[in-house]
Amino acid sequence: MRRYLKTLFFGLGLAMLGFASPLGAATMESGDCLGCHGDIEMVGAKFLVDQLAFDHTAHGELGCPTCHESVTADHPDDGLTPSKAGCQDCHQEVGEEYARTGHAANASCGDCHNPHAARATTEVSGYDMNRQCAACHDPSELAASHGTWLPQAGLHLDMLPCVSCHTGSENYVVTLFLVRRPGGLEPNAPISTAPFELAGYGELKNLAEGKDIQSLVDIDGDGVVTIAELKNFNTSRQLRALRLRGMLTPEAVTHSLQTLDNRWDCTFCHASGPGAMQTSFLALPREDGAYRRLPVEKGAILDALNGTPDFYMMGATRNETLDLIGLAILAGGLIMPVGHGTLRFLTRKNRR
Amino acid sequence: MSEHSDQTSNRIYLQPTPVRIWHWLNAFGIVTLGISGAQIRFPDYLHLFGSYKSAILLHNTAGILVAISFSIWFFYYTCVARKMTLLYVPNRDDLQYGLLRQAVFYFFNYFRGKPNPHHPMPDNKFNPLQKSAYLAIMFVLVPLVSLTGILLMNVSPLREFVLIAGGLKILVGLHFLLACSLFAFLFTHVYLATLGKTPLSYVKPMWTGWEEIEDH
Repeated sequence: MRRYLKTLFFGLGLAMLGFASPLGAATMESGDCLGCHGDIEMVGAKFLVDQLAFDHTAHGELGCPTCHESVTADHPDDGLTPSKAGCQDCHQEVGEEYARTGHAANASCGDCHNPHAARATTEVSGYDMNRQCAACHDPSELAASHGTWLPQAGLHLDMLPCVSCHTGSENYVVTLFLVRRPGGLEPNAPISTAPFELAGYGELKNLAEGKDIQSLVDIDGDGVVTIAELKNFNTSRQLRALRLRGMLTPEAVTHSLQTLDNRWDCTFCHASGPGAMQTSFLALPREDGAYRRLPVEKGAILDALNGTPDFYMMGATRNETLDLIGLAILAGGLIMPVGHGTLRFLTRKNRR
Repeated sequence: MSEHSDQTSNRIYLQPTPVRIWHWLNAFGIVTLGISGAQIRFPDYLHLFGSYKSAILLHNTAGILVAISFSIWFFYYTCVARKMTLLYVPNRDDLQYGLLRQAVFYFFNYFRGKPNPHHPMPDNKFNPLQKSAYLAIMFVLVPLVSLTGILLMNVSPLREFVLIAGGLKILVGLHFLLACSLFAFLFTHVYLATLGKTPLSYVKPMWTGWEEIEDH
């Protein structure tokens, strides 16, 4: 909260400075900037800003001149290079935290974060989080190095954002993403065994036949995904090319980029029992490339048949009804020793 | 005198060495699987093998051991002894009369002190009820629990098969319920093994190979 207040005050401060500054800088608005910087033919790929993505960021709300305060109404004819605010001007605590890590010597903020498309943690898919890490860390090498100590390393790397273990992340939830095989949503798509990938906004929009893509799962449109709606999704022939891929994602991350000691212990995630894994969301792609989330009915992650057939965390998401059925089976196995054994004891004289 | 019988001491050679090795490997492996599996499913209640990772590694190792021992058993009875059908598949007489006869013995005549109608021989080791139970256990339950276990051990490389099976959660549920069924059978199996003349008289042949012939 303090960080956001600081950002707000910093933005307000900059805005007030803008009023007091020469006329040229004050008259430059984001819309003016994006008129050119939103067109690749005018500025080239290096200076291109994806307006759709930028508009939905906190940085977009502050506006271009907040960070590029020296830009004038004569830009670029004035020949001046606009100033750039440093990330730490607003994100000082994050910057200091990051500076203490080994990563700081190898990657600057911009190597992982595009300031023109910066999202909150919960707006980024787990896949996209890991894509940033994979820019430097080869996934096959990661699988090999994790495989030296971590059972089913490939599965863990598929189902977890790296930051879940390698930052001081907190408050884990299960986030469900819509995935499909490459080209799998196209009409008459051939049967494929290619790895599943995130389904994009455009193709889901087509599948929803013009309706909100939320309607693919949340049929009644009430903004909550029920177990019945998940069952309908999982058994729908029309949607059979889509699957729900669950990932354990943190609600908050730090930039400490370390491996906390408790992450080496499997029971950090696997011993919490079925009461803990009750919060889950369906993440739907937005047109701007970010994700929005719909809450999923409690219990869906634990449901044995209808909820999330591809997501199971040993120890943590077991189904309690199955536990009871298993117990009944075991108890059935004791009928013979207990029942027969009792009669055997009572009739022992007959066998002497 | 047959190589499988010893008239002087009134005993028969019932359990060949490969079968005994298989049996005890299986027993040790399955009990280990059950206990480590319980810790894996209920880590919030059970901490028998130290860390969770130890329990998983032990469970995986025991699973591989049992799968190998199952293969030994299958290879031995199918290719070496060539008695698989003879020993494990109930014949017409078993189905028509044997099952009922054996059930009447276990649930009625045993309590009256009557003799067991089945007399084990090397080519006819199991009574009709045993044959039927072992047929279900060894040809359905153990292969299915092994298959689901192999898939769960290798989710990423075998993901396509996991999807064909209906997803990870179906597989886990199936593996758990099959394992419970196997243990339910195990309780009965161990109990029935004590039903001989003395509580250990049916257990001893599985250790030495020789069974004392009961006087009737």
